[in-house]
Amino acid sequence: MKPSACPRLFEVEALRDGRLTGPERSHFEHHLAACPACSREARALDQLARALRSIPEPRGDELHDRRERTRLLAEFDRALVGERRGARGRRWLALVAAAALAAGVCFFWRASPLPLDSPPPGPAASSAEFRADAGALWSRQVEARRELVVLERGALWIRVAAVPNKLPLRVQLPDGELEDIGTTFTVSVEAGRTTRVAVDEGRVVLRLRQRAPVVIAAGESWPASAIPSSPAPPSALAPESSPPQPSVAPAATSAQADGATPRREPTATQREPAPARPPPSTRKPPRPRATRSLEPAPRDAAHDFREAMAALHAGQSRDAADRFARFSQEHPRDARAEDAAYMRVLALREAGDEAGMNAAAGAYLRRYPQGFRRTEVEGLLR
Amino acid sequence: MRSKDARRPEAALASDPELMLRLAAGEIGALGELYDRHQTALRRFVARATADAEDVDDIVHAAFLTAAKSAARYDGRPGCRPWLIGIAVQLLRRRRRALGRLVAVLASLHGTRPASRDPRPALDARPDVERALARLSEAKRVALLLAEVEGLTCPEIAELLAIPIGTVWTRLHAARRELRQLLEDVP
Repeated sequence: MKPSACPRLFEVEALRDGRLTGPERSHFEHHLAACPACSREARALDQLARALRSIPEPRGDELHDRRERTRLLAEFDRALVGERRGARGRRWLALVAAAALAAGVCFFWRASPLPLDSPPPGPAASSAEFRADAGALWSRQVEARRELVVLERGALWIRVAAVPNKLPLRVQLPDGELEDIGTTFTVSVEAGRTTRVAVDEGRVVLRLRQRAPVVIAAGESWPASAIPSSPAPPSALAPESSPPQPSVAPAATSAQADGATPRREPTATQREPAPARPPPSTRKPPRPRATRSLEPAPRDAAHDFREAMAALHAGQSRDAADRFARFSQEHPRDARAEDAAYMRVLALREAGDEAGMNAAAGAYLRRYPQGFRRTEVEGLLR
Repeated sequence: MRSKDARRPEAALASDPELMLRLAAGEIGALGELYDRHQTALRRFVARATADAEDVDDIVHAAFLTAAKSAARYDGRPGCRPWLIGIAVQLLRRRRRALGRLVAVLASLHGTRPASRDPRPALDARPDVERALARLSEAKRVALLLAEVEGLTCPEIAELLAIPIGTVWTRLHAARRELRQLLEDVP
């Protein structure tokens, strides 16, 4: 019999694709064991599948993969922030409408004579002070019955004075919220997660999604393994009474200033302590040029990074590691600084320097505890 | 060091459904873990499924981003690789349709068929099997890859592509026949 002459040849593919079931399947399996033509056909289909699986995988270089990962996470991050901005925008519309309504009510109220012994109308006062670190992104909004602070990233030190008629304060975090109960505390957010809460006075309630609420009292910090809280705010969060520092200034003035104005503190220039409502006769002093995160990278940073990568590709791993280390020192604010720290770990691994690689990996994890390459670096340490 | 060690088992043990839950809650770290876990497989699938290697990064990127935005609707199956591949297939399909519309619009504007890029030089540089695979229609190619490389069953493929199972069988049969023919024709 010719190999192609078996009338059941088509059933080989049917068996493979699950089209044969029950008795049909068992009958054909018996036939397959005995029929050379069908066995040959089954082997040919297996071979075709193996050939498909053996197509070489696209091999992007590791840095390209890392960059794609960073790009993805950054875009997701932006999408999340955008959603919150949209929600804030809607809140703003509601606030504007409420303000217009209040102004109208006020006008008609004023139009009617007030009794002489009426107390002066006035909302409950905010009594909070804020200090933000260099990279903090946050906003504050005083609503009718509460004060809302939205912290998207960075560290924020907050002191709420225990005064009568004060507004309750709530800190909205990417992964939950924090309720103040008359206190002084610092809260930090990195990469969309709350990383630390340290309470100096009073206590707070931390409510993270999918977790039980945690009450953190004075002298305690969360998580428990974090650095214990300090009695004074960190140096980068210098209080207003501290002498002014050239690069890091207090993030905001006390909260009695412009009540409903949200504040964002993305840059060093916007951290300049300016009076929120200057007198009409005084002009706001010109703000200095940005000197930190928005400053364009030095011109030779790209060159330095390229040189380091070239050394790595040329197999000069030790030289590449040194170049990446130098890059991290000389361009700590450059967008590639994290890449450089990570590539240094890889370069030391290539060079066979296990101790150096472990030290570099430790340095990376300390410097970028929520870095995009944390998982990989931890994997290298195992 | 202690906190890092304490974090490792959690990272190692987090299942795909757990990651999707965290992702639905807006946790960016979960997306990183999901990417690390599945990007190689997804990239491999997309690279084989599309004849244009330049699109691979964008489609993989869009697939993960779509997954992140749809995480709340994840059906809870133990592994989310087929789900991610399904998203990538939808994106490939949309891209093909968009390209088709663009070509039609250009043709109507100029009154002639626009000259498309000649794929032969790029295809000729590939190994035989890859070259032959690239010559199949995208529908057949995707069905074949899902069955033979990704190991999905025909009912799974039908569900993923939202087509009748008979269509899956037909596409697989046609794809295998054409592929074998193309490989036999290789000099």
